[in-house]
Amino acid sequence: MDIREQYDAIAQCNKCGFCQTACPIFRSTGNEAGVARGRLALMRAIIENRVNWSKEMEEPLFNCLGCGACTTHCNGGIQTADLIMKGRAVYLEQVGRKPIHKLLFDHLLPYPERLHKAARFAAFGKNSGMSKVAKALGLLKVLGRDFSKAEDLVEKLPTKPFRGTIKPGEYPGTGESLRIGYFVGCGVDIIQQDAGKETMKILQKIGKSVTVLNNCCCGLPPWTYGDAEAAAKLASKNLDIFSSGSFDVIVTDCSSCASFIKKYPKIFEKDVTKQAKAKALSPLFKDMVEFLSEHGYPAPIREEPVIVTYHDPCHAVRGQGIAKEPREILKSIPGIEFREMPEANWCCGGAGSYAMTHYDLSMQVLDRKMKNVASTGANFLVTSCPACMIQLSHGVRKHGLDITVCHISELVAGAKAMNAGIKMKKSA
Amino acid sequence: MVSENFIRELESIVGASHVAISSTGIELYSYDASLIKSNPAVVVFPGDTQEVAQVVKAANREGVAYVARGFGTNLSGGTISVTEGLVICMSRFNKILGIYPEDRYAVVQPGKTNLEVQEAVGKHNCFYAPDPASQKVSTLGGNVGENSGGPLCLKYGVTSNHILGMEMVTSDGEVVRVGGPVLDSIPGYDLRGLMVGSEGGLGIITELTLRILPKTETVITMLAIYDDIPSAANSVSRIIAAGIVPNTLEMMDATVIEAVESNKPCGYPRDAAAVLIIEVEGMKTGLKEQADQIQEICMATGCREVRVAGSEAERASLWAGRKGAFGAMAQLAPNYLVNDACVPRTNLPEALEEVAAIADKYHFRCGNVFHAGDGNLHPLLLFDSRNEDDLKRVHKAGWDIMEACVRLGGTITGEHGVGREKQEGMHLVFSGDDLNTQTRLKSAFDPNNKLNPDKVIPLSEPKGQPLPPTPPRTLKRPGGASASGVAEAMAEIKAASASGGSVIPVGAELLETYGNICDASAKPVKSLAMTDVIDYDHENQVITVGSGMSIDDLQALVAEHNQWLPIRPPFFKDGSTMGALAATAVSGPERMYYGAPRDFLMGLQYIDSEGKVISTGGKVVKNVAGYDMTRLLCGSNGTLGMITEGTWRIATKPELCTMTSGTGDLASCSKAAVALMTANLFPVYIAAVPVEGDNWRLTTGFEGLTDVVRHQTDLTSALLAKNGLTDIADKDYDLLTGPFKEYFQGLDQKAYVIKAGAITTKIPELFNGLKMALNGSQPEWFLDFGCGRIYVAVDTLDQQTYDAVCKKIASVGGHIRVDKAPEAFKRSNDVYGTLPRPEWKLMHAIKKALDPKGVFAPGRMQGKI
Repeated sequence: MDIREQYDAIAQCNKCGFCQTACPIFRSTGNEAGVARGRLALMRAIIENRVNWSKEMEEPLFNCLGCGACTTHCNGGIQTADLIMKGRAVYLEQVGRKPIHKLLFDHLLPYPERLHKAARFAAFGKNSGMSKVAKALGLLKVLGRDFSKAEDLVEKLPTKPFRGTIKPGEYPGTGESLRIGYFVGCGVDIIQQDAGKETMKILQKIGKSVTVLNNCCCGLPPWTYGDAEAAAKLASKNLDIFSSGSFDVIVTDCSSCASFIKKYPKIFEKDVTKQAKAKALSPLFKDMVEFLSEHGYPAPIREEPVIVTYHDPCHAVRGQGIAKEPREILKSIPGIEFREMPEANWCCGGAGSYAMTHYDLSMQVLDRKMKNVASTGANFLVTSCPACMIQLSHGVRKHGLDITVCHISELVAGAKAMNAGIKMKKSA
Repeated sequence: MVSENFIRELESIVGASHVAISSTGIELYSYDASLIKSNPAVVVFPGDTQEVAQVVKAANREGVAYVARGFGTNLSGGTISVTEGLVICMSRFNKILGIYPEDRYAVVQPGKTNLEVQEAVGKHNCFYAPDPASQKVSTLGGNVGENSGGPLCLKYGVTSNHILGMEMVTSDGEVVRVGGPVLDSIPGYDLRGLMVGSEGGLGIITELTLRILPKTETVITMLAIYDDIPSAANSVSRIIAAGIVPNTLEMMDATVIEAVESNKPCGYPRDAAAVLIIEVEGMKTGLKEQADQIQEICMATGCREVRVAGSEAERASLWAGRKGAFGAMAQLAPNYLVNDACVPRTNLPEALEEVAAIADKYHFRCGNVFHAGDGNLHPLLLFDSRNEDDLKRVHKAGWDIMEACVRLGGTITGEHGVGREKQEGMHLVFSGDDLNTQTRLKSAFDPNNKLNPDKVIPLSEPKGQPLPPTPPRTLKRPGGASASGVAEAMAEIKAASASGGSVIPVGAELLETYGNICDASAKPVKSLAMTDVIDYDHENQVITVGSGMSIDDLQALVAEHNQWLPIRPPFFKDGSTMGALAATAVSGPERMYYGAPRDFLMGLQYIDSEGKVISTGGKVVKNVAGYDMTRLLCGSNGTLGMITEGTWRIATKPELCTMTSGTGDLASCSKAAVALMTANLFPVYIAAVPVEGDNWRLTTGFEGLTDVVRHQTDLTSALLAKNGLTDIADKDYDLLTGPFKEYFQGLDQKAYVIKAGAITTKIPELFNGLKMALNGSQPEWFLDFGCGRIYVAVDTLDQQTYDAVCKKIASVGGHIRVDKAPEAFKRSNDVYGTLPRPEWKLMHAIKKALDPKGVFAPGRMQGKI
């Protein structure tokens, strides 16, 4: 790949600086290296031979959260996050890729079983305090640098994946006709299993059948890292799985997966056959929030009044334009008082594996988020992305807040269980 | 190039992670939002004032030039190091240090964005008036450096009208405070005014004290649609002439309307030649009537249709097009150049025709979105920055636009600054002598030319030599040396200067001379012959008159067009001159609402110490071309030059003036005054005078449209009663005389008048302290809560008492000037107080740079220089 191919898009930057408005990284560092204008300027400088590819480009390219907030504030509407991913791809070619990425992207993510195994080792290590084992293995050690600080991001790892309990395959539902495919993202599969269980319950109430797919990773992590090839491989495997059954709709409760799968046609820009397949299948795909909003959901019951606030995952609000729906859903649940937090659509700093690679920066972004969360006085902090949930839970612990982080499915399906959850946590 | 040692030193000051020296770091700080590009040698990110001071000292030792920068959204290349020097990035100065609604000020660090400040003060039900379109990303430091405007400045003025004080690091690495939270600046040169718009050439600002105001009650937004631009421009002039000051008059032309509607439609008619967004805000009462009146005016001046926003959503949709205009235009080409120039607003139609012709000539598409109320144009030229030819042509087109606007009586920049981009353009509006004077001013602050060098003033050949004394290339400045009385005064000053003598500029000689006593040998030079009306542009509400004209004559002259100059200087006499007003910068208690002479003077001419006529400013409201010499001269009290003429902004006379008063003890009056300071009202003054014992009469007044005045008077009566005042009464009064003329005449009967400045909430404490100090001398008082001043008049003042008075004032963070005292007192005392202030050093440096031989009023300044 040659960054010159992106010259037109990069040159569209007028250097007005409006991207600085809402870039969480720039707002933390105040450094031009951490904002769209600067990143674009450097890529342009490379094209115009003022700057060479070198390690110096790592920080500007890799400390981007990819949250897309800059595009919202850009007069020219430049898709900087996409351009950064492309820049990263060239960087990896020119400056080099670490072996650990090869292990993760080429040998773990495409194979759910291997990933489960790795996660089990990691969980064993983490839960038993054998941090060396945890460090040495799999999912958590993605890109390395700040990992030792990031180790506490996940409090406790389940020993069994979600699909170890609810095995891939078709399950009957009580709905009339809808045949639903349930895409289980890595986050739900390995960490946020409570969310998955509640999603499953809701889907079974709505659908005639729910098929838990034997999908692999959606491909977003390697894509974000600039490894388009690995992403395409994963996407291609998943497309085969989508077309292997007959579904009216495929749902995922991970907004990041949803937003990326909707983008599949873009990945296969150079493969016409696969692109056609992606174009045909991607309309079937729905974010859980979107699905609930379109299909309705069983009326939730709640006994005690609670205060709820909502965090917009970047991949929901900017990735898919979902903002109104979750708020409408939350407001429709009896007993819930919804309170909007300031800057609800600002990135939480999790950004997939970002928190592990850039822990300090990520925490600065998270601190701002937590201040906003706390200002609402909410009992529940709701979102629709498991990666955000990991980060937000870490923030709640770090700031000592009495707030439960949960997936929107958990509130919709398990109102009573949630209350019990609060009491248990408080007494513990 | 800089040395390794220097880099190490910077790292030891700010920490290694806050120094950028890599090729990417340098590239990232080689640009701002303008077309200028130049690599710095190194970038530092200091974390506090001391670090800035140390960095400056280290740079001085290394001999490296430095430029301070915020978020780098400057549009004239002002934040680029053009000498391969050091960039000092202030982005870590991002805290709000305090918000004080009762005293109407806030203290912030300069790296905070304008919008963040707005949001923070908004929580206290206040606002900070300057609102540049870039407010989401432009920092306060940058706003101050450029003297930013914004849509609201039509009503509230630009940044300079809202900066009260600052902490700064000077070029010698010292930390100096200039101004403070008090509305009146520290007596002496208007340093804070000078710093605003100085584009980083005079010092590095590390903290700012801003003026904030209580939020208004409500707003009405309208969209007026036009089939031709002259009609739209005509509506704008008529609205302002009717005495309505909308907070916004924003215009968009057909190209922009088309771009907006093709991008994100918001209902602007595609066949319109122009649309105008008009917004009025204020009290609920009377606002609809104002909006109705505006609609009538629009329809009577050729408007096709006026739409009024009926809801917040409709308002948002009317604004959506304006806010999305740059974005919509940006979609049409790889890049756009935002130009910035000003014309008197009645010349807008011609200016737009010229802009269109220029765009045609250079083959660019061009759209116009601009602040019509103050004649500030922002033509957007569409081009491709990768194309060398495009770049050349877009520069030329920008230059031609600037020149056309100056030809139409305007200026080269209204709010984006001169920076590097418009340096040569300074020749269009200033003479070589004017520019050399500005260079001398800079050297007073920055003798080694290390602070953002080679910007603003055109470079000379060879470098460092004065520019040849050519007249301005384009701008015609009538008056000057040819106005009556000026040539004679020039000759006298020249003669005095040549013979090593000195002069004192004088007007009607009716005033007790402000300032310290002058050297007895100084020869008075009279301004009384300078009575020309050089230019009266009543449509644009601007008048230029000679210094010898009396204020009364000026008021009578402009009254013919139902206009007035909204200043009622206390202690001025019948016959006191406009020159005296400009030189002393005195304002009455109405300053809190209208402003002071510094806020009305848009330009002036003066005779310098070599007997040459020097021009400053111009005749447009928004003007950021060069250092703010107008504000420097205003209030310089005859110590820098003899002001020969001034260009003043005037206003439509208010329909009605009414005051409301109530009686109570000092505590109640003070409480009521603070309530008025924070209320949703527009008091013109808030002041108290003693009745007897501890009883005071607090008076506040309202001037404006009848309905609005009456409504506020009613609310005020209730407010005063609520705060325990009794005997509440209303009274109408004459606009020009004002409510306190007689009272001030009474104070003037005493031998001494002391003026002390302190914030509103400190007035009672200061009063009690002064009362103790002046015990036994039967003082008479005037407590100006609104402006934060106490006038106290006494018949005797001994040395010991004077010391005590000065100490008391200093203890509340205030400042002093003895406005009137017998000659004997002045011979042995400094009327600016017994405690020298650190900023006097800067004032003395300015005096030395602009009047090196001490020709003007020697001995009069603070410190008796």
